[in-house]
Amino acid sequence: MDDLLQHFIIEAQELIQQATDDLLAMERDPQATKPLDSAFRAVHTLKGSVGLFDFAPMGIALHAAEDLLGALKGRRSGAASQVIDSLLACIGQTERWVAAIAQTGQLPRDAAEEGYRLARLLRAQFDNDPTHAPEATSPAELGWIEDLIRQSPDPAGLRAHPSPLVAIRYTPRADCFFAGDDPIALLRSVPDLVAVRLSGREPWTPAAEMDPFACNMRIEALSGAELDQVKTTFRFVPDQVIIQAITLAPGSQIAMAEDAAVPGGGTATSTRTLRVDAARIDRLADLVGEMVIAKNALAHLAKQIGDGLDRKHAAQNLLASHAAIERLVADLHGAVMDVRMMPMRDIFRRFPRAVRDIAGRLGKAIDFSVEGDEVEADKAVVEGLFDPLLHILRNAVGHGAEPEQSRLEAGKPAKTRIVLRARREGDRVVVEVEDDGRGIEPAAIRRAARDRGIAQAVEVERLSDAEAVDLIFAPGFSTASEVTDLSGRGIGMDAVRSAVERLGGQASVRSRPGQGTTIRLSLPLTVVVTRIMTVQLGAELYGIPLESIVETAFVPASRVLLVREAEAIVWRGRTLPLVRLAALLGLPAFAEPSQRLKMVVMEAGDELVGVVVDGFAQRMDVLMRPKTGILAHMHGMMGTTLLGDGSVLVILDVPELIG
Amino acid sequence: MSVRLDGTVVHLEGPCRVEDAEPLLALLQADGKRVVDLSAAEHLHAAVLQVLLALQPALQGAVEDAFLRTWIIPTLQVNSAEDAGLPDG
Repeated sequence: MDDLLQHFIIEAQELIQQATDDLLAMERDPQATKPLDSAFRAVHTLKGSVGLFDFAPMGIALHAAEDLLGALKGRRSGAASQVIDSLLACIGQTERWVAAIAQTGQLPRDAAEEGYRLARLLRAQFDNDPTHAPEATSPAELGWIEDLIRQSPDPAGLRAHPSPLVAIRYTPRADCFFAGDDPIALLRSVPDLVAVRLSGREPWTPAAEMDPFACNMRIEALSGAELDQVKTTFRFVPDQVIIQAITLAPGSQIAMAEDAAVPGGGTATSTRTLRVDAARIDRLADLVGEMVIAKNALAHLAKQIGDGLDRKHAAQNLLASHAAIERLVADLHGAVMDVRMMPMRDIFRRFPRAVRDIAGRLGKAIDFSVEGDEVEADKAVVEGLFDPLLHILRNAVGHGAEPEQSRLEAGKPAKTRIVLRARREGDRVVVEVEDDGRGIEPAAIRRAARDRGIAQAVEVERLSDAEAVDLIFAPGFSTASEVTDLSGRGIGMDAVRSAVERLGGQASVRSRPGQGTTIRLSLPLTVVVTRIMTVQLGAELYGIPLESIVETAFVPASRVLLVREAEAIVWRGRTLPLVRLAALLGLPAFAEPSQRLKMVVMEAGDELVGVVVDGFAQRMDVLMRPKTGILAHMHGMMGTTLLGDGSVLVILDVPELIG
Repeated sequence: MSVRLDGTVVHLEGPCRVEDAEPLLALLQADGKRVVDLSAAEHLHAAVLQVLLALQPALQGAVEDAFLRTWIIPTLQVNSAEDAGLPDG
C-alpha cells in the first residue's frame, strides 16, 4: 500500500472519530455551535482527502453530509435527532469503508449503491427541513397512496381526516425473517393507524412451491400520527420503507422523506497506528544524544588505556562509564515505555456511540458519562480493554437498566445512569462501569447457578451473597432469560474475566439489588516489563521471575537431608523440598559437586521450595515475549527475552516444572 | 404450541412466531380445504400471515386481538374477495 493511502487511512480514522464525537455532542446540546463547526470541518477535510483517491461513492456521501452540516450552520437552530441519525449513518458507513480500504486497498463492491443511498438519505433531510419548501412529488409516485385510500373501508372519512396523514410503504427485504424482523409486529407498533393494505411484492407462488422463509410482503398503511413518530417506528429498516406526509386537501403539496439509517456495529477494533506526543520523541532524541556522549567517553578511555593508563584508574573510569550508560539505559527504557502509554480516551471515546446504538435497539433510556479518560496505561492494556468494556456496557444497558416506568416508581431518575470511569491506584489502573439499575439479586444467581449446573446446590447455599454474585464470572453463566444479539450469547462475563486476566488484571463485581451494579477491572499500568533474576547452569543462563523469589542463599552441602528419594533442607526453621534445576530441566549436572550449594528459595504454589543452581547472575527488567509458534506448548517455560548480546534468554516457570 | 390441527380445522393460538409458518404451510398444503381458526391468535408473525395471504384458506372464529381484528383480518378477506372476482365488501 502506498504511503499516501496509508496516511489517508490514519487521518480518516481520526476525522471519523472527531465527527462522531461532535455529532453526539450536537445531540446532547442542540444549541451548541462549537461541535457543529468542528463536525463540519472534519467532514469537509475528510471529503477533500477522499477526492485524492478513486473512492467516488464515499465522496458522494460525504459531500451530502457536508452540505447538510453547512445548511445546519446557516440556520443555527439545532438539528433534529433523525438528522443526527442520518449523519451518524454516513459517518458509520465511512468508517466501515475506511476499514475495508485498510484491508483490501479498495471499497467494497456494493459501495456505489450504498453511497448513493446515503446521499439521498442526507439530501432528504434538507427537504424534510421545515425551513425548506417541500418538493412536490410526481403524481405517478403517489398512485399507491390514492389506491390505498380508495380501497380502505372508509375513503371519505380519510379524506376528511382533520390532521395530515402519514403514508407508509414498507417492503421488507426477502431475508428479513432471518434478521429477526417481524414486519407485522412493526406495523402493530405504528401509532394511530387509519388504513392498512397487505399485498405480495411479487405474485404469490403456487402453494406447493411457497418458501415460508422468504418474505414477499408489501405493507402499505396510513397513520394519523406525527411524521416523526412514524419515522421512529421504522428507524431500523430505513432502506425498506418510504414514509410520506400527505395532505389530502386539493392542491396540497407533499413532503417526502425517508427515515434515517442507524449505524450498525462498526465497533470492531482494527490495528491502529500509534500516535505519539512529540515531546516524548524529543526526550528519546535527547537520551540518544547522551548515549553518543557516553559512547565517546569509552573511546577516550580506550585511548588512555592504550597510552598506558594504570589498571586501577582504567577500572575506575570504566566503572564510571558503565554507571553513566546504565542510567541512560534505564532512562531510555522509561522513555520507550512512555511512548507506549496511551490515554484511555483512545478507546473510551468510541463508547458513547456504541451505548447509544445499543440503548436505541433495546429501547432503553440511558444517561451515559465517562470520567478519567485522560488516565494512561500501556497500549496493550488500553487496547485489550475495548472488548471487555463493550461487553460490560452491553450488559449494563441490556440487563441493568430497568424500564423507565419502574425506575420512576422506585423513585429513581427516568434514565439509567451508566458511568465509565478510569483512575490510577498506585501502579495500577482501575476501570469501573457503574450503573444505578436493578442490581443483581444473589438469590437469582444462586438459582441460576444450580439450574445451569455451575455449582452444586450445597456449595451454592454456603456462599456469601458477594461470592454468589461473583458467579456471574463463572464459565457458562448468563443471567439473560432470553438470548439476544446484544448480550447473553453465552460468552458472557467469563470471557471478560479471562480477557482481563490475560492482561494481568482482575475483574470483580459489587452489586446492591435495586440500587445498581459496579464492575471493577484492576489492571497493571504496563504489561510488558518483567523483573527477572538470571541464574547459571553450566555455561547457560536462565531467567526466573523475581516476584516468585523469596531469597538466595549459600548452604553447606552437608545440610542436605535425604527423605526417601528426594532431597530436603532445613531453612530458617522450616523444611524445604530441595530440587536441582539441572535435574528439573533434564540436563546433566554441569558443575563439580561443591561443598557450598547455591540455592534460590522461591514460591511454588503455596509452598516454598529450594532450587539449586550453579550460580547467580544479575537482576534485570526485560520485555518478555510470550511463547509463540513451536514454543507455545513448551512445558515449564513462561516466555523468552533477548539479551544485550543478541542471545535468547529462556524465562522459566519453575512451579510448572516442579508440577 | 401455536399451530394445532383439530379435525379439519387448523387452530392458530397465542403469539404465532416465525417458526409456526412452516408447520402451518405444511398443514394447508396437505389439504387445501382445511379451515384456519384465528379466535385465539394474539399475534401473527409476518411469515405466518403471508402463508395465509398466499394460500387463502377459509377463516373462522372471531379474533380477540384488536389489532388483528381491525387491520389484518379485513385485508385477508379483501384479497380473497378480489381473487374470487367478487365486489369489494
